[in-house]
Amino acid sequence: MDKPIRIALTKGRLEKDTVGLLEKLGFDCTAVREKGRKLILPVPDANLEVVLAKANDVITYVEHGVCDMGVVGKDTIMEMKGKFFELVDLGFGRCKFALATKKGTDFYSGYGIKTIATKYPNVARSFFEKKGMDTEIIKIEGSVELAPLLELADGIVDIVETGTTLKENGLEVIEDVAPISARLIANTVSLKMRQAEIEDLIKKIEEALK
Amino acid sequence: MKNYDLITPEGTKDLLLSECLGTRVIEKCLMDIFRSYGYTEMITPGLEFFDVFNLNSRYFPQENMYKLTDNKGRLLVMRPDSTMPIARVVATRLRDAMLPLKLCYHQTVYRTEPALKGRSDEIVQAGIELIGSDQKMADLEVISMAAESLKAWGMEFSLEIGHIGIFKELVGRLDATDKEKERIRKLIENKNFPALNDMLDTFGATPVTAALKKLPGLFGGEEVFEKAEELIPDDGNIIALLEELREIYTSVSELYGNEGNVTVDLGLVNKTDYYTGLIIKGYLQGHGDEVVSGGRYDKLISEFGYDVPAIGFAVNVNAIAKMLAKAGTLPEVPTADVIVFAAEGCQVAALKAADKFRKEGLIVENALFDDIESVREYAKEKKIAKVVVIDGSGEEL
Repeated sequence: MDKPIRIALTKGRLEKDTVGLLEKLGFDCTAVREKGRKLILPVPDANLEVVLAKANDVITYVEHGVCDMGVVGKDTIMEMKGKFFELVDLGFGRCKFALATKKGTDFYSGYGIKTIATKYPNVARSFFEKKGMDTEIIKIEGSVELAPLLELADGIVDIVETGTTLKENGLEVIEDVAPISARLIANTVSLKMRQAEIEDLIKKIEEALK
Repeated sequence: MKNYDLITPEGTKDLLLSECLGTRVIEKCLMDIFRSYGYTEMITPGLEFFDVFNLNSRYFPQENMYKLTDNKGRLLVMRPDSTMPIARVVATRLRDAMLPLKLCYHQTVYRTEPALKGRSDEIVQAGIELIGSDQKMADLEVISMAAESLKAWGMEFSLEIGHIGIFKELVGRLDATDKEKERIRKLIENKNFPALNDMLDTFGATPVTAALKKLPGLFGGEEVFEKAEELIPDDGNIIALLEELREIYTSVSELYGNEGNVTVDLGLVNKTDYYTGLIIKGYLQGHGDEVVSGGRYDKLISEFGYDVPAIGFAVNVNAIAKMLAKAGTLPEVPTADVIVFAAEGCQVAALKAADKFRKEGLIVENALFDDIESVREYAKEKKIAKVVVIDGSGEEL
């Protein structure tokens, strides 16, 4: 048997959804379900080795080729960029990037430079760059919704799922930036060196997603 | 003010012992391969004018180059690549030279990489440029040299070819703006099937969009050509390009198919402004990025005012060194064979004796201690087999 294919999963919800998908394909994921504190787990009947990592690290491991494949949100891909193949839209983990402001503000009025608070500075920057708009971007680590409330920022660029948090804090989405969902990515060399196995797995996944 | 006198800048490192020796051995091995094909070595300056890399095709984004100014305030860059400087030399000093020109080099290139990603800003590359021939034989020669450069390390390797012309022909038939075409190119390069499909759907369902959608998936062995012929719109130009690539693929498989993996990828569409035909990539099992990269660039030298076809590739020497280190096959740094200790007043005799050993081909250290005990201790520590004492009376082991 060849060395197993290593796949990095974003810990948390994407991990659970991916394990669900692998089980749907008929693979035995007991080791991943009962992982304890282990971070590298075998799925022997699929000849896979699951690595659990934070979203940004999934990209880093795949880029360096220490993991052959990865499951990561489009949000992380948009923010991190990097060199890898983005093969499949897995369909789960759906949400969107959106621009939100305090309810009732006319964001685009006036000629003052707008200040944007975000956890995703690259996403925000490229969004406004495309509009040819100079903005001041401030990186916030925690609840971004606070920034406009505290009047640090005119608006936020953030992930929106249901919009409940925004609503409860008197904010509203004024524009969608980009849709988000989980993606299956692969290292550029791994896809070539282990083409048959990876293509086989992708085919099965695409079947199951239909 | 903070002092940075004890560390090197991010993205650079000192190479010591077997890491250093290994790099040199790899360079030599590659240069020997290149020389054995009749290529001659050249050196270009580490500093170049920014303008050399700021041609119409802007192959290098300016944010990826290290810049400085000369004493007249003109913008310089640390060489980010060797092909453009060689193109410059060919279009100027070598303009009247007989063609084809066969040039090779091994030198460092500098590129700014994103911080904290574990990437190097300083890469040793060894490579070749074959200038003045657009023959199929030229393509085959260069691919063979790339294969030899991969196979020399006793590791599983994969040699991949593609042809940029197929993508260019297809996308040229699409009623799209340059920006849209660039976006399509990027999506094909990243094999981003979901986004590529969405994007191409906006151009309607035509044979051209259908073929572009499939392009990033057309990689692998011989079977790729059959699949491609079914998919690609019946069109003289594209079929001819495919046929050209297939002939090359068949020849290369025949040459190297037994030793390594020879594959084709029609979705290799990187650096489209630069490459005009064949594209070559090489991979080593276990290294997450390409080790060999190159292709045909028939229009580049004309940007320097001399219209002549060319093809070449570069090998990432550091990547190979890293792989050899991982495999534990980096060459060991040789220890001295002999250490010569000079008793007081016998320095000249000792230097003469040491030199005699060296002429026999041995590595000889001069002992730099006051007493023989220290010399023996040093020799033991450094595994030097033989201690010679010169005290006017003869040799002592």
